[in-house]
Amino acid sequence: MRGRRSVRSVRWRDWAAVAVTAILLMILAACSGGSSGGSSSTGVTPTPPPPVNVSNVQPVYMDYGPIVNSQNVGFNNTLYTTVVICVPGTTACQSIDHVIVDTGSTGLRIPASLVTLSLPYVTDSSNNPIGNCVQYADTSYQWGPIVKVDVQLAGEVASSVPIQIVGPANFAAVPSLCTSGGTPAQTVAALGANGILGIGLFRQDCGSACAAAAPPAVYFTCPASGCVAASVPLASQLQNPVWMFPQDNNGVAIVLPQVGAVGSVSLAGSIIFGIGTQSDNALGGAQAQGADSGGNFTTTFNGKAYSGSFIDSGSSGYFFLDSSTTGLPNCAANSDANGFYCPGSPAAFTAINSGPNPRGTGVPVSINVAFGIANALPLIDSPAAVFNNIGGPSSGLFDWGIPFFLGRTVFVGIEGQSSAAGTGPYWAY
Amino acid sequence: MRKELILFSILAAVACPAGATLGGSAESVVTDQSKLHAKRAVVQRQDYSVHEITGNDGTLIREYVTPDGKVFGVSWIGPTIPDLVQLLGTYNTEFQTAIRAKRGRRSSAAVHNPDLVVESSGHMRAFHGRAFLNSMLPSGVTSDAVQ
Repeated sequence: MRGRRSVRSVRWRDWAAVAVTAILLMILAACSGGSSGGSSSTGVTPTPPPPVNVSNVQPVYMDYGPIVNSQNVGFNNTLYTTVVICVPGTTACQSIDHVIVDTGSTGLRIPASLVTLSLPYVTDSSNNPIGNCVQYADTSYQWGPIVKVDVQLAGEVASSVPIQIVGPANFAAVPSLCTSGGTPAQTVAALGANGILGIGLFRQDCGSACAAAAPPAVYFTCPASGCVAASVPLASQLQNPVWMFPQDNNGVAIVLPQVGAVGSVSLAGSIIFGIGTQSDNALGGAQAQGADSGGNFTTTFNGKAYSGSFIDSGSSGYFFLDSSTTGLPNCAANSDANGFYCPGSPAAFTAINSGPNPRGTGVPVSINVAFGIANALPLIDSPAAVFNNIGGPSSGLFDWGIPFFLGRTVFVGIEGQSSAAGTGPYWAY
Repeated sequence: MRKELILFSILAAVACPAGATLGGSAESVVTDQSKLHAKRAVVQRQDYSVHEITGNDGTLIREYVTPDGKVFGVSWIGPTIPDLVQLLGTYNTEFQTAIRAKRGRRSSAAVHNPDLVVESSGHMRAFHGRAFLNSMLPSGVTSDAVQ
């Protein structure tokens, strides 16, 4: 684990790396056929062309995270954005910074301590509030009621979106079906962020399984007598706000610059809403590969196929296989890099991601991916907070986390929504 | 004497309703089945047996049992993470402590202690995990059996 620390001054070589990155991005932008827009004052934001319609470029950033009690509480390799939520249909709004951008989940989740607006509960047919439970792979969980807000991202607005308010004191206690023996991520400090914006492959977090009889324990009806797991119609479930935009609603492009081998203290990039809907979000040469109903696809490594693999901007590294399969030693359990790989020298790998063709032709699409793993310990102990070369074990699969996004444009095609690449769910890069 | 034994067993079952799970006796599999409102099937392998418990919501839990009736491994696949207190018993505390020591890692959980191994991966809609005790693997059985 990386310790908390205060923001330090940016070293010259970081700025040099940022400047080089910015120049490369401008060259890339010119190559992709889009007309070049004006340069931003920071010099690191990719430069999309002037929007033809609604402004669809949402800034994203990576840094030391939000501040709690005068200390940064963020973790390495976390992608954040700033979200504006409003009481539906009004101009009563608030802006929330340092919300994690997570392609591995769906829906907006904000800790109750940050919410200043008075927001309407989403209720069942008996007018009982509905509680929502989200679990993460590390067995942490978030629990709280569903409310409706208008969500503003760039110039886009999604109206009356069900979101989760995490951990309000005046709401029903978390059911044991939600905790599952795991650890709460109910506060800003526990989460290392001011919320999570899930903009993954799906329209809803749970989908049809939670609208059917015998649903998984994700939604609960909460009368005064206590919360009980319940089926909830799709429209009342947590939504990916992007598919609720009036336009630019078939997916997103996440555009992040590359960093050097020593990492960077911070980073700036963009989410561009829509795929092929405006002059700034064309697919260009990106190849599209589909995912299954759970969001997974196959990664082939050293000739062996791992079918439960996925891309996840909410993961902080390349997490794949294990030490004996990769030949990468695990970092010492008593070190700051516990949970990561610590090879003696940087190791280079290639793998092949494949999934169904989202155009439905029946021929799977395979995409080669090159990546590197360096010793995580000196990197995690350095002042940098953004790395393209850290990873750790995750048995039997590939979790393509934040390093995969650096230096790439990654398109996320939402289920049931179409573009020139085909119909979601798909990834394109 | 026999009556007293039965009475004692009933009292013990009432006192420990969750039963032992990982590391415990296979009898606890039945407890899990009833708590999960689930269907159960037993698959016999050469050196162990696998008790498969399928929940109404599509969660599949497997409990791996030694010839002398001890649970040496468990695994799960499903839309949510099952109750790990129930599946891992007291080993869940060791697991949670080890995860918290890896907080800089935002991803799946992989705990490889000398005896206890727990791996929990996936994401919303598609979770997968397994746990086993190295010390209880039947002879001739590797940890790859627990999937």
